[in-house]
Amino acid sequence: MAGTESRDRPPAAVDYRSLVSDDRVHGSLYHDPAVFDDEMEAIFTRGWAFVGHESEVPNPGDWVSRRLGREPVLLTRHRSGAVHVVANRCSHRGTALCWAAKGTANRFQCNYHAWTFDLDGTLVAVPYPAGFDRSKDELGLDRPGQVESYRGFVFANLDGSAGPLATHLGEGGTGLIDRLCDLSPTGRIDVSRGWIGHKVSSNWKMWPESDNDGYHLNWVHASMVDATPDTYYNETVLGGETGNQSRAVDWGDGHVELDFRPSYQRALAWLGTTADRVPGYCQALEQARGPERAHRLLWDGPPHALVFPNLFLGEMNLAIIEPVSPTEMVHWHTAVQLEGVDDAFNARLRRQSEAAMGPAAFIVPDDAVTAERIQGALAGARPGWAASGRGWLDVSRGARREQAGPRGERAALVSDETTNRGFWRQYRRVMASRLAPPTGGPTYGGAA
Amino acid sequence: MTGRADAPVETTRIPVSADEQREIETFLFLEARLADESRYDEWEALVTDDMHYWVPAGPAEGDPTATLSYINDNRARLATRIRQLQTGSRHAQTPASVMRRLLANIEVLAVGDDGATYVTTANFVLYELAAQSTQELRVWPGRVRHTLRRVDGQLRMAAKVVELVTATRPQPNLAFIL
Ligand code: FES
Ligand SMILES: [Fe+2]
Repeated sequence: MAGTESRDRPPAAVDYRSLVSDDRVHGSLYHDPAVFDDEMEAIFTRGWAFVGHESEVPNPGDWVSRRLGREPVLLTRHRSGAVHVVANRCSHRGTALCWAAKGTANRFQCNYHAWTFDLDGTLVAVPYPAGFDRSKDELGLDRPGQVESYRGFVFANLDGSAGPLATHLGEGGTGLIDRLCDLSPTGRIDVSRGWIGHKVSSNWKMWPESDNDGYHLNWVHASMVDATPDTYYNETVLGGETGNQSRAVDWGDGHVELDFRPSYQRALAWLGTTADRVPGYCQALEQARGPERAHRLLWDGPPHALVFPNLFLGEMNLAIIEPVSPTEMVHWHTAVQLEGVDDAFNARLRRQSEAAMGPAAFIVPDDAVTAERIQGALAGARPGWAASGRGWLDVSRGARREQAGPRGERAALVSDETTNRGFWRQYRRVMASRLAPPTGGPTYGGAA
Repeated sequence: MTGRADAPVETTRIPVSADEQREIETFLFLEARLADESRYDEWEALVTDDMHYWVPAGPAEGDPTATLSYINDNRARLATRIRQLQTGSRHAQTPASVMRRLLANIEVLAVGDDGATYVTTANFVLYELAAQSTQELRVWPGRVRHTLRRVDGQLRMAAKVVELVTATRPQPNLAFIL
């Protein structure tokens, strides 16, 4: 395990406090393999990360395959109804148990020596058991030290020492997830209509940044604006620095948002429609929440936000930012579907999702090519350049006009780099503190 | 958007006359060349008013509207796609990828009762230089199924369904016409 190895080495060989400051970030952080190793440990092993959504495994036996940092895991639904996260790696001698993206199984049986596991990772049977001295209880699949879900969003912390999920999410993170789920009349969303993977030759950190950058839209997405002039982006993020009321918000703990709510001029602008065109949905929401609250929800729409480190709530899309190597990542996305609403409505969300995200969409390919151009241009930036002032990236825009909000958040103009700074502030905190030697406590493993 | 599934496909090859076969192949090669060269207006002139352009994220089976696809364009969305490519600021295709594709194993799988509709299949390999970003060579193998219809005497494309060999895996930018 990468986890146990790196515990023994001297802490913080890379000086994160000097490479990330409040208003600039060093380019070496986007390609240095040592940095990537540290991130897989500090962020994806010792911290909470998003794994998947309970709606992806609706029935007992359902599983989907994911990666948590470098670790292949399965999100499963047990007979008991409980959702589990287990390593996709036989605890005998390491064979991957599943190689498709998803499936349904009564048990996982390893093809090497036929060890059989329950969907919660328990070892159920081994051939010729008399030869083993260890009890089956000790030989279950590796499991994250902590798995918790919030409104169906399943998060895991491999290491198990990250504290409660509630602390990681904070009021900022839970508030963002609430605002999405509350748009469903039942309070539940469904994300089982398939994930589209978009492979980008860039470091993964460009995506928490670019997905939540309110400064670039006029340029990177000019062609989308020209080709589809009537989108809600006109009133939410375009029209110049003060041409809209949207805000860039740092909710703390790395959770950041482009808050479009103050810009919307009518209900359902975020869906590109009006209430009379989707009466079934509006009535269902009113019935569930009462007219006043429903009106507010229909007006405000879903958030456009990062839940640190790898979950992007992209309005009615969900995206997972998957690091692959220092210079490669996958941006996975799917359409959010609202439970309790007719399929015509949800089909509209699916088609909008195809238009917005993925390798052939109207929006994200232009972010992807930009990320690849950044990656190529940063390839030479060495950590040693930092002291001499070379290879720095500026994220200072609007720092002086940030204002504290009622819930402790910081907010500025939507084109200000408050979101970028919020991500990097958490990054620096985590990278500088979690790589220190451990104080004990549970570790990732099967004998939990 | 479109609720249309792919046209029905027989597993056996339907014999057509040598003239028809040649006409179909000529059309497919023209379509491929215009796509290779990002000649969007001329390419768009080949499609019918009810064109369906579908690139699924797996086998081209079932209802295209039920799940998410890479591309699932009805005629209106296809027009938007081409309009965007023609803005001059579609960064993902500025400059346009340098592309050449090979088409092989062309078969006619079905002929409509009216004798004016053909469903064809072909294997392809597309070589793309990502000239706008990494400068790497990207290789796109797959199968393409066309529904061709005779409109005013000319063959036109009513459906193009592209099944990438790598469809179930993440794809790099796919902002050109596949
Ligand atoms: S490696 Fe799985 S049973 Fe031996
Ligand atoms: Fe963007």
